[in-house]
Amino acid sequence: MIDVIEAARAAGVEWLSLYAFSTENWSRPSAEVDFLMRLVRRVVRKHSVLLHTRGIRCRFLGVTDPRIPPALARDFADLMTLTSGNRGMTLTVAFDHGGRRDIVEAARSLIRSGVPADAVTEQSFAAHLPYPDTPDVDLVIRTSGEQRISNFMLWQVAYAEWVFPPVLWPDFRGPHFLECLHAYQQRDRRFGGVLPTQNGEPRS
Amino acid sequence: MNIADGGHPSSAGAGATDSEGGPERPEPGGEPGPLFGPGSQFNAFFNDPRWALAVVRATVLEAAHPQIGAALIENSTFVTHPWRRLRNTLLSLQRMFGADDDVRRREAARLNRLHARLKGSDAHNRPYDAMDPDVRAWVVATLFESTVTMCRLSGQPLEQGVMERLYREFQAYLAAMGDEPGHLPHTLHEFWQYYDRVVEEELENTEAMRIILYKLFDHLPAPPLLNGLPTLWATGRAVAGPVIGAITAASLPESFRRRAGLPEMPGAQTLMQSAYLAVGLARFLPDGWIQAEGIADLLAFSPDNDDPRAKTITALRDTMKRAGALLRLITPLPSPPVPTASTGTQRSAEEFFHEVLDQTGDGYLDWPDLAAMAREVSSRLDLDEPEENRLYDAYAAWWHELQAALDIDGDGRISVQEYVTSVPSLAGPALIKVAEVLFDVTDKDSNQRIDAGEYRALFQTAFLRDTTGTDGTYTRSAFVRDFLSFMSGRQRSTPYDPLLAEA
Repeated sequence: MIDVIEAARAAGVEWLSLYAFSTENWSRPSAEVDFLMRLVRRVVRKHSVLLHTRGIRCRFLGVTDPRIPPALARDFADLMTLTSGNRGMTLTVAFDHGGRRDIVEAARSLIRSGVPADAVTEQSFAAHLPYPDTPDVDLVIRTSGEQRISNFMLWQVAYAEWVFPPVLWPDFRGPHFLECLHAYQQRDRRFGGVLPTQNGEPRS
Repeated sequence: MNIADGGHPSSAGAGATDSEGGPERPEPGGEPGPLFGPGSQFNAFFNDPRWALAVVRATVLEAAHPQIGAALIENSTFVTHPWRRLRNTLLSLQRMFGADDDVRRREAARLNRLHARLKGSDAHNRPYDAMDPDVRAWVVATLFESTVTMCRLSGQPLEQGVMERLYREFQAYLAAMGDEPGHLPHTLHEFWQYYDRVVEEELENTEAMRIILYKLFDHLPAPPLLNGLPTLWATGRAVAGPVIGAITAASLPESFRRRAGLPEMPGAQTLMQSAYLAVGLARFLPDGWIQAEGIADLLAFSPDNDDPRAKTITALRDTMKRAGALLRLITPLPSPPVPTASTGTQRSAEEFFHEVLDQTGDGYLDWPDLAAMAREVSSRLDLDEPEENRLYDAYAAWWHELQAALDIDGDGRISVQEYVTSVPSLAGPALIKVAEVLFDVTDKDSNQRIDAGEYRALFQTAFLRDTTGTDGTYTRSAFVRDFLSFMSGRQRSTPYDPLLAEA
């Protein structure tokens, strides 16, 4: 994982999101979930200093389920606090994230704010999503030969390009990432007729 | 050599002057003062709360010296018994810097005997020797430099004259230990060159240093006073431990931090300077003078207040928040909870191994563990050389007895498994001999009875023995019986607990 983060940073990627644990993963056997939680905690603590010294701003998307151990939640919060001032690259880790849930939450927030139905636009709706400064996703890399969206950042991937390398995620390294990036550079992006925006530029 | 000749501060430096062949320097600025005792510069610092931070810093710089680091790792009980060690260190410094020449001579001789036993080779087969004069000079150098740095960091740098006087006192300290002059540079000016060179060329990121910085403060055992309040202690330690570590790391020389690869922590410099400043200033506040109102005002600032002070405070607060987050993240995770120790009067064999036998806390029973027991008893009773040797010999014989009976795999040390599986019959003849010698050295007046005063010297506690049927003293047979029952019957709640088991 760190290898991929380093490769992305070195290649000039400014926004990188990783999908660590989905809402559906809670249905796995509890021993497996416990193991995963401990593993994540170790990884976060082990790499916190490195991420910070590389100027990476870390964010966690999701992290709402009460089943997340409090100690892990605090480590997430600490890592976000520690790196909040960094601007090198923004790393978003989707943990306990579900794309539909984010959209539902945005809808609720919108309704609570009392906006008249006619006034809702794509832009104003998106402003109610978590981390509204996150730009649209340009490229999704789905490893392991799987070809599904799996409820991942549904709103943000609307115009994303997709690549499906067969290599399994645990074996996915920096060079694989660069290959995917290269494949992306060969694509002709048309945005369904929408005017292309500058790569990585947040929508107004 | 009359070191404490108060009227002539140059007398202690005389040897050094001769060896340099240079002229004696007049005292720059201020009255010449005594080198030891009341009126000395050192004495003015001894009760300064900042000293705690300075001593911790000096210890880290000592541990970063490869020879000292190796000696600490192999022999020291500072991880398992840090409070005992701190008390012994402070007591020793008091004796060495006190006004009484006899006490000083005695203490110097005791320290030299103690250090002569600390000799061996480290994990890389590099020899270490606590009597190496350069090593000893470095220990004194770190104490001096940390005292100077402590003042500088808290915003009250020492004047040149005061600094030079303090330096002469530390030179005199080394001389009182019997060391030839010349290992510490003669002048303060040369000292800084020497200090920078050692930092630059000799210090390493040693295991002992890492243990002090990262392990000791996180796992610092509760001082005996707080034994009954583990939760309170754990809470305080979780906050204070990493902070002390960070403050100390941030106060180390920049070039060394870089070379040893110590992480730069956001806010740690600020934190360190504030800590030194706060502790330093607190000293000047008469009781009840802390202005609660002013502090409350500062704390009440909201981050987006217009007040220019608020901006500074917001910036500082953000830095502190980030520093706190980092400290929590880099604090090693606690090991999975182990069942809490039983509170009965019997210890399990495993508990006894960890709480009593393994004094150095490395997980094995080895000669340094038993030597540490002998050292502790010798220090407490302030033994003279012949008695001290008898005690060490008795412990050494016991070690051979244990080794012969328990070291099954023949690796020269006894693991907890070897100890537990053998369920040892510990009360062999050599252990009985230890008990006998312990009785002899405690019985100062050799009347075959341990009276209240002698008892207090050993156990540092009031005479609480059940004295029915005796004349209120402790007989040899009762003493030996109790010692054996502690060592083999693993009896808790005896006076031996504070002597050998507590931190």
